[in-house]
Formats: sequence, structure tokens, C-alpha cells
Amino acid sequence: MAGEAAFDLMEEGRAPVLALRGDWTVDTIAGLEADLRALAPLLTPGAGVDVAALGRLDVAGAFLIDRTFRESPGGEATRVAVRGQHVNALRLLEAARKSAVALAIAPVLPRGFVGFLEQVGRAMGVIGEEIVETVSFLGRTLGVLGRLILRPTHIRWVSVVHVMEVAGFNALPIVALLAFFIGLVVAYLGARILGDFGASVFTIELVAFSMLREFGVVITAVLLAGRTNSAFTAEIGAMKMRQEIDAMRVIGIDPMEALVAPRVIAMLVMTPILTFAAMMAGLFGGLLVAWAELGVSPALYFTRIADAVPAQHFWVGMSKAPAFALALAIIGCKQGLSVGGDVASLGQRVTSSVVQSIFMVILLDAVFALWFLEMDW
Amino acid sequence: MSAEIAIRVRGIETRFGAQIVHSGLDLDVRRGEILGIVGPSGCGKSVLLREIVGLDKPNAGEVSFPFLADSRRKPRLGVMFQDGALFSNLTLLENVEAPLREHTHLSHQLRSEIAGLKLSMAGLGPESHHKKPSQISGGMRKRAAVARALALDPELLFLDEPTAGLDPIAAENFDRMTQELAHSLELTVFLVTHDLDTLHAICDRVAVLYGGKVAAIGTIAEVVAGAKGWVKDYFSGPRGRAAGRGVAGG
Repeated sequence: MAGEAAFDLMEEGRAPVLALRGDWTVDTIAGLEADLRALAPLLTPGAGVDVAALGRLDVAGAFLIDRTFRESPGGEATRVAVRGQHVNALRLLEAARKSAVALAIAPVLPRGFVGFLEQVGRAMGVIGEEIVETVSFLGRTLGVLGRLILRPTHIRWVSVVHVMEVAGFNALPIVALLAFFIGLVVAYLGARILGDFGASVFTIELVAFSMLREFGVVITAVLLAGRTNSAFTAEIGAMKMRQEIDAMRVIGIDPMEALVAPRVIAMLVMTPILTFAAMMAGLFGGLLVAWAELGVSPALYFTRIADAVPAQHFWVGMSKAPAFALALAIIGCKQGLSVGGDVASLGQRVTSSVVQSIFMVILLDAVFALWFLEMDW
Repeated sequence: MSAEIAIRVRGIETRFGAQIVHSGLDLDVRRGEILGIVGPSGCGKSVLLREIVGLDKPNAGEVSFPFLADSRRKPRLGVMFQDGALFSNLTLLENVEAPLREHTHLSHQLRSEIAGLKLSMAGLGPESHHKKPSQISGGMRKRAAVARALALDPELLFLDEPTAGLDPIAAENFDRMTQELAHSLELTVFLVTHDLDTLHAICDRVAVLYGGKVAAIGTIAEVVAGAKGWVKDYFSGPRGRAAGRGVAGG
């Protein structure tokens, strides 16, 4: 009974008959489509199918037969006259006809230059919205923080300490290691290039200035953007998707107070600590190079730093840490709360979170650099 | 319905740590019937479903499909998970097309048309074709999930709590759809449910899982007649009686 799906068109008497052979299932009908479509115009009204020799038939096969008849000159309403006996042909053909629908036309997206312009326009609109939303989120967060300062009992200390550990303390090794290597590289650069001018002793100043003013805090912030911000967004976003945030609101827990504030507070505390660690690790990296390459003893290294590098550079670096921390926490939480109902939006929000926070760190750093330059600090 | 056995489950044992879920569970599902599986929460209904479709492995026992003449062939299964489990980044039409795309060589046009037909059989018109799962209601998601389960014309259809979370009218429509599809497509339906109305309205037989075994199996009248203990409480509680009256009266 079984066999490859095939058909013959037979002219007997007044109307043509489509005699079907073999199995007509979703796995076997792929090759028949073009032939059947070419044959449809020949099925004059009154045409039928002969299912006596038909093997297995499923909905897809029945659909294809039914479609051929609907495309015949008789139009959509062409009746399919079934000849011969078959276990389920009649029933499936009826079911296919009953549920037949026209496909909806997929929404067309403009292509080419116009499409490109439209996409650019939309992207600009999205960027504008994001800026407004993020700034208003900053305002709301500061409002909540202000309220919490007035009523410190409302601060969720358990969450704060937990975030401090997971997002801050656990990042300590990687932050210190990276800063150590940056210190090492800067010191090598100094020893090499300054050495050409016979000024290799200034390597120590180079390392100290760059680590204290810029690299310590920027390395920390960039690492936190990649490591902690993505985690904030994914955690809060997953809660949003599972309606946990809605549940909180209904119960009367303010998500800003329960989710956002602890993260902001923890970041405000931990970022300066991590920055300090990064500065020290960087200086240690410089020390090793100065010792090995320039023969400067550790004692001399520190004396030189204490004499030649005013403490204000340390404070300039440290003063940026809270600003970066706030920017990071705000962006991470805001993106998490903006996650929609589907998985794609979660991925997109985590990406935005990391990109935006690294962008903000660099932008803020440039603004700080201008400010400190003008202030002559 | 024939006496041919579609799914044969023998001596299933399932343990999660110290917790025993199934202890020597036997069950036969006849070909072409709608079998309702009921039992208290946590009795292992969904786990049994997962074991039959091959997602989980029981600690002991076996599942076979005697209706297959060629025993090397795997049965074609369609599964509707409780929340639909539609792919959230695809439209409904693409969701139904996904199994077709993976397993057949149909032209793009024909594939879309077949997917449209399956959605239509599940009661979703063309206006839903290009919607994402997040843009439609829970009831529509369940219908789309059934359409996806039917995409490859399965012989066995597994429904996990199909009417949970639906309003009574939507649930009734869903039941009717299940019954129509089962009859017109000759499906064997394995239906896990808590919905007493569904049991009364569309199930040919009912199996009660209790204490790690099938405590009772038969038509609903037989099960109710021989009910003892938990089974009796289940069917003769206020809800069970109301559901029974509704069917008897209507």
C-alpha cells in the first residue's frame, strides 16, 4: 500500500479524476507541490480525486489536495468529489477545507535607502527616550534615597550587604589583578620611553599619577559595568518577566526601595573600596617594574611617591568613584525594569546596560578631566 | 476507538531523592481515545507525561508504543506544555512552522500555508499570524501551542493542564476543540488535568494516579461507581458533583 507519493490525471467521461498513489504525508509531499500547482488549471468543475490506491494521508497532504482544487478554475468553493474507499481521506479533506484560511500578509518593512533612513530615525527616537527615561529614573532613585535617609529603618540592610558581597567583594580579586597588570604595563612604557630621554626615574611619577587619577577608578568602573551591571539587569529583568515585580507592587513593596535602593547603596559603598584596591595593586605593579628594571628599592619607591605626588591626585581619583557607582547602578537597575515580556528583550536590555554604563563611565571621566583641569586640581 | 494499545507503561518507578513519586506504575492508553489523567498535586502526573514523551528517564520500568508495526520507528508526538512554551522571539505562524522547517523539505509558501491551517484548526485566524506570544492572551497562547503540537500530524497528543487558567467559556471551547481535533485527526490524547468539567465532557476514560500507582481507571461512570478514599473525595466533593450534574443535565 505504501510507496512514494504520486498522482495521475485521468480523463474519464466528462470530468478529470486525480488518482492518488502512495503515502501523502508531511514528509512526502514536498516534491509534489509544483506539479500539482501546474495541474490545477486542468481540473475543470466536477473533477474529483480517486483515493482507492492512496496510502497514509495526513492533514498536510489533505491540505495540498484541497488547495489544488481551490486553485482550479472553479475557484475557492470547488467541491472535491471523492471516489474510492479510504480510512480517513474524506474526513481529513473536510477538516482541511473547513479550516482553510488565507495567510495574513506579513507586515512589510521598508527596504533600501528609505528603510535605512527610517531605522536611523527610529534609533534616534529610542536614544532620546532612553536619555529622558534614565534621567527621570535617576531623579526617582535620588528621591527614594532621600526618603530612606530620613527613615533609615526602611533600608533593607540584608539586601545591601548581600549585594555588597556578590557585586563588590567578589569582584575584588579580578579588579586588583587587572589593575596590577595595568600598573605593570604603564611602568614598562615609562621605563622604556622616559629612559630614551634619560628621565626613567620619572616612571614612578607616571605610574602614581595615572593609577591614582585615572586608571584605578576607570578600570574598576569598567569591570563593574561588565560584571555587575549585567547581573543587575538580568536579575531584575527576569523578575520582571516572571511578574515578580508586579507581585511586589500589589503586596505594597516598592520595587525602588526593595530592589534599586540596596543596589545603589551597595555600589556607592563598594566602588570606592574597590577603587582603592585597584590603585594599590597598580602601584604594586609599578613597584615590581621599577625594582627589576630601574633598580629602585621599594622603600625609595614609596618615599618618591610621597614626596613627588601630592595627595590631591588620590582624592581626585577617589572622588569619581561614587559618581561612577551611581551611574552604573542606575543604568543596571533601569534597564532591568525596562525588560518586556519576551526573552529577546532581556538579551537586548543586558547588552544596552553594559554598553550604556561603559559609555557613561568614559563620558563622565572626560567631564571630570575637563572640570579638574579648569579647577587646576 | 479500538482495543489496540497506543502507549503501554509498565512498572515505572520514579524517585527524587527520598521522595517516591511512582512505585510500579502500569498504564495502558488505547489508540484513538482521550484519556484524562487526574490525581492530587504532586502525584507525578506531569512527571509521567515527561517520562512517556522521553524528556525524563524513570528510575525503572519501561514505556512502549505497541501500535507501531515497525517497532524501530518512534511515534510522532505533539506536546502542549502548561504555559504553552511558545518560542517568544517568533511569531505564532513561525512557531508552528518551526517543527515543519526542521523536519520537512516543504517550500516556504506551502509550509506557511500548512502552519496557517493548523492555527485555524486550533481556532486562531489570520489576524494572529504575525503576533508574538507576548502580545496575545493566555487562552490564545494555549491554542497556538496546540497548533504547534499538531504541526507534524502527531499520532499521540499530550496536553498538560490545557484548561488551567482559562475562563469557563474559553475552557469549554478548548475542550470542544480538543474533542473535534481528536476525532477528525484520529489522535490519541493523553490529557493531564484538574478540570472536572473537562473529564466529564470529553474524556473517553479517566485514570486516577494516587500513591504512586494508577488507583482507578475506566470510564468516568465506572471510576465514580467504584470510588474509594481519595478518589471518592475527588469525584463526590461539591465540585465533582456539580461537574457531573452539568454533563448529565446538559
